[in-house]
Amino acid sequence: MREYQTKTTLAAMLLAAGLTTGAGAQDAIKVGVIQPLSGAFAASGNYVANGARIAADEINAKGGVLGKKIELVIEDNKSIPTEAAAVAEKLIVRDKVPVMMGAWGSGFTLAVMPKLMEYKVPMLVETSSAGKITTSGNPYIFRISPPSAIEAVAFAKIVDRLKIGKADFLVVNNDWGRGAAEDFGKMFRERNIKVGLVETMDPPAQDMSAQLAKIKASDADTLIITTAVEQLTLIFKQAAAIGLKKRVITTGGSQSPDQLIEQAGAAANDTTHIMFFTPWDPNVSAAPAMAKAFIDEWKKRGLPFAGLTESFRGYDGIRTIAAAIGKAGKAEPEAIRAALWQIELDGMNGKIKFEKAGPAGQESGQSNPGIYLIRIENGKVVLPNV
Amino acid sequence: MDQFLQHLVNAVILGGTYALLGIGLTLIFGIMRVVNFAHGELYAFGAYTVYLVAAALGLDFFLGLAVAVIAGALLGALIEITLLRPLRTDDIDTVMLVMIGAWIVMQNTELMVWGGVAKAIVTPFPDTPLVIGPVSLSWLRVFVLLVALVLIVGSYLLIHRTKLGKAMRATFQDRDTAALMGVNIKGIYTATFAIGSGLAAAAGALLGPVFLVTPTMGDLASLKAFAIVILGGLGNITGATIGGFILALVEELGAGYVSSGYRDAMGFLIIIAVLLFKPTGLFARAERVG
Amino acid sequence: MKRALPVFWLVLLLTVPLWLRDQYLLHTLITTGIFTIAAMSLNLLLGYTGQLSLGHVAFFGIGAYASALTTLGFDVELFAGFRVVHQPWPAIVGFFVAIVVAGVSGYMIGRLSFKVRGAYFVIVTISFAEVTRLVALNWVELTQGPLALTNIPPFTLGFPGLGTYTLWNKVAYYYFVLAAGLGAYVVISRLVGSRIGRAMIALKNNESLASSVGIDVTRYLVLAAVVSAAVAGGAGSLYAHYLKIIDPDIFLFVYTVTMVIMVITGGKGTLAGPIVGGIIFGFLPVIVRDFAAPAMQWILYGALMIVIVFVLPQGVVPAVEHWVTNRARRKLAATILAGTAKPGDGR
Repeated sequence: MREYQTKTTLAAMLLAAGLTTGAGAQDAIKVGVIQPLSGAFAASGNYVANGARIAADEINAKGGVLGKKIELVIEDNKSIPTEAAAVAEKLIVRDKVPVMMGAWGSGFTLAVMPKLMEYKVPMLVETSSAGKITTSGNPYIFRISPPSAIEAVAFAKIVDRLKIGKADFLVVNNDWGRGAAEDFGKMFRERNIKVGLVETMDPPAQDMSAQLAKIKASDADTLIITTAVEQLTLIFKQAAAIGLKKRVITTGGSQSPDQLIEQAGAAANDTTHIMFFTPWDPNVSAAPAMAKAFIDEWKKRGLPFAGLTESFRGYDGIRTIAAAIGKAGKAEPEAIRAALWQIELDGMNGKIKFEKAGPAGQESGQSNPGIYLIRIENGKVVLPNV
Repeated sequence: MDQFLQHLVNAVILGGTYALLGIGLTLIFGIMRVVNFAHGELYAFGAYTVYLVAAALGLDFFLGLAVAVIAGALLGALIEITLLRPLRTDDIDTVMLVMIGAWIVMQNTELMVWGGVAKAIVTPFPDTPLVIGPVSLSWLRVFVLLVALVLIVGSYLLIHRTKLGKAMRATFQDRDTAALMGVNIKGIYTATFAIGSGLAAAAGALLGPVFLVTPTMGDLASLKAFAIVILGGLGNITGATIGGFILALVEELGAGYVSSGYRDAMGFLIIIAVLLFKPTGLFARAERVG
Repeated sequence: MKRALPVFWLVLLLTVPLWLRDQYLLHTLITTGIFTIAAMSLNLLLGYTGQLSLGHVAFFGIGAYASALTTLGFDVELFAGFRVVHQPWPAIVGFFVAIVVAGVSGYMIGRLSFKVRGAYFVIVTISFAEVTRLVALNWVELTQGPLALTNIPPFTLGFPGLGTYTLWNKVAYYYFVLAAGLGAYVVISRLVGSRIGRAMIALKNNESLASSVGIDVTRYLVLAAVVSAAVAGGAGSLYAHYLKIIDPDIFLFVYTVTMVIMVITGGKGTLAGPIVGGIIFGFLPVIVRDFAAPAMQWILYGALMIVIVFVLPQGVVPAVEHWVTNRARRKLAATILAGTAKPGDGR
């Protein structure tokens, strides 16, 4: 798997290099992709990039778009915001991409946004969840991933059935975690669910035993956790080690349950997770046949199953972009931007259609996906009937 | 009170491994005056070695620990011989720059070889914790503490009861005089770096299974090691040991009672406070600062 | 010839936007320029006073945040209901505020840090930078924490009523950065060439000796820290208004490392050193990006650092200077041996 990634990355680099020197095919429509391929978030970035590749290959196998092949120009933002801005500039100016997808983390996406305004190129946001992204008045942003406000609203529809009396929060100390604590907390209070502690942890922190000891002693019955799979693994193990016995619900979509089961073992049992995609049972997805085909192709390429819960965003993102290019009739930024408002297609977790968000006159596009609740029991993922 | 006891226990267990990190660095920093930015990378290397032996190759976990420590020491010796010795300079910036370069190369080699996804190391210890009253501890952590204590005592004996240790102490006190008295300074340097690196690798090998193994795990470890060295006084093993426990305690109580977001800042605040009010550390004997 | 060189470079830099059409390279040049200014300020501490400060990014970041907050406005509660509200001010004011605020923090941190020396000093400076980062990350009410300060407006020069010019496009920004860079260069070179500068160099070479002849060591070190911090703060402000977004990641250690690399490989203690180092390491990622996988790029970066330290330990600029001087000397020696030397040769 690693070899594949390195080889593919090298191949992509060589391809990109070949294209920038003008030796590339003129018959391709280039789509820029900005992801963290190295640094702290390398794992997730590579999952999304691979999902994007599957989508591009699938589309090209069916004849491409407007008679031409789609060519992904994938750049690494090195998990640093300024690098994200720099590669966005390179993609727009050097590679002349008419549209981009990226940049995974909210900080990276925010860093790229001024470039979009400067050069008037649209970007599809596939993972970032900060509310600010769609409320800053940037008409070149189109997001298919939900900010935590929308996640909370979707969760509100089923929360009453879980009968939560009082909830504590344990969130990662960045816009994603804090945003989740804020939005879910607001939703809880509207439903007379009390909110207890709000504990945070630094993104690279590995020892959460202090926070967990505090939570263990609190009187809440539920613990809501928002962070990525690595910290979740550590939290579950440490929670088991100190004998924490509360109901645990995780949010955010970066939980990667299979990796949790593999690495946390028994400590991951009896936990509940809010997911955006459920590869364990494609029939539950909004588009079962497409989900099944995607999962099969992912497995065929020898990629890790745990990556499916993030890679589908790359897949949906490229398909959305392709649809917009097709609708626009030409591979030009302004036409694609206008077309993005008009398209409607089936995504892995619901219909993709952009609604207006943000200040009037400069709205960004936001699509509203569905959510799924899963539980881990006895080392397996089960989809409960809630 | 229950919460406090749990915090205390957490701190003691973590403190043991912090102490190992600190001892390793205080030897290197103290004897060789090298600002060793690659120290954290030896920590990560130790963890990845255990992963390689125990998880990837499927061999015995304890064998993995032993291999990690020895490999770490050898790698340290290699670094000293190839990078530090040829430098022929005492210029602290130059040495520091080389160590930063080594840090970048090592971390990204690990990223290339193992990928960015975190790795877990399965241990033969049971998952259900040992519960004593209001306090729970995992068996693995108890084992980690025991091994750390053994290594700490071993280091102390090495420095204070062996000829090598004597030579190291002599070099630390006055390098030129030691050289005049026949101490092989070059060899001492290599041995010091090897021992320090071996201890860092041991810390990583012990904590790797407790947490997770990632390419960037060494960064925080490096900085905490510096905090411990400052706290304990340069070249002072006992100080580093106590410093390790103090740092763990401050982190744990600070995160539990003050603010969890600032947990990792505790180390830095300690550094600043100690250097400003008692620059020689809490335990150092008369030592010229700088 | 030696005098002509800087003038030549200056003229070249002035004409760059006329022949460099590639927007991406211009962008790289601007960010390189900003970091080079920061590197020059670090050189003052590192090269001229001999103090190895690894927390320099703190001043850069403080300047960036100060400038951004001045222009965006803020509303925070300091304690017990006491609120401080600030209305947005023009961006150019933010630039000067950044310089002042950074300078003041340079004074405070300098006074505290210079109680220790050597490796201890290194570590305390790193710690200050980390604590600053964590404050920026956690004091969400003021800094927005990880949510970042966005929509930072660009600079507007001129006077309302007489005529204003807003720096939207890259070319204009490039000249602004160039002007700031020149300003910084002049300030630093004047300082270094003055009596104060000589005192600093004296204490770098031998602190106890300098102290024994009556040089107030701490006073000069703190002065260097203030000037250095102020210049870095200015660079930070330039960065904030160019990128138009600032988040706590600006305080990451990797940025300090970048500046240190620029200074040491270029040649610490020389005026041109940070500039040369800045250009090399500003453009290196651009070149390397095209043919190496991401992790490999970093490995090349690190390996290059080590190689430069071994092969050119004083840095590029001094090495070039030596080579030029030696060449002149060898030529002179050759003419002497050949008997064709004339009075006045070798100048």
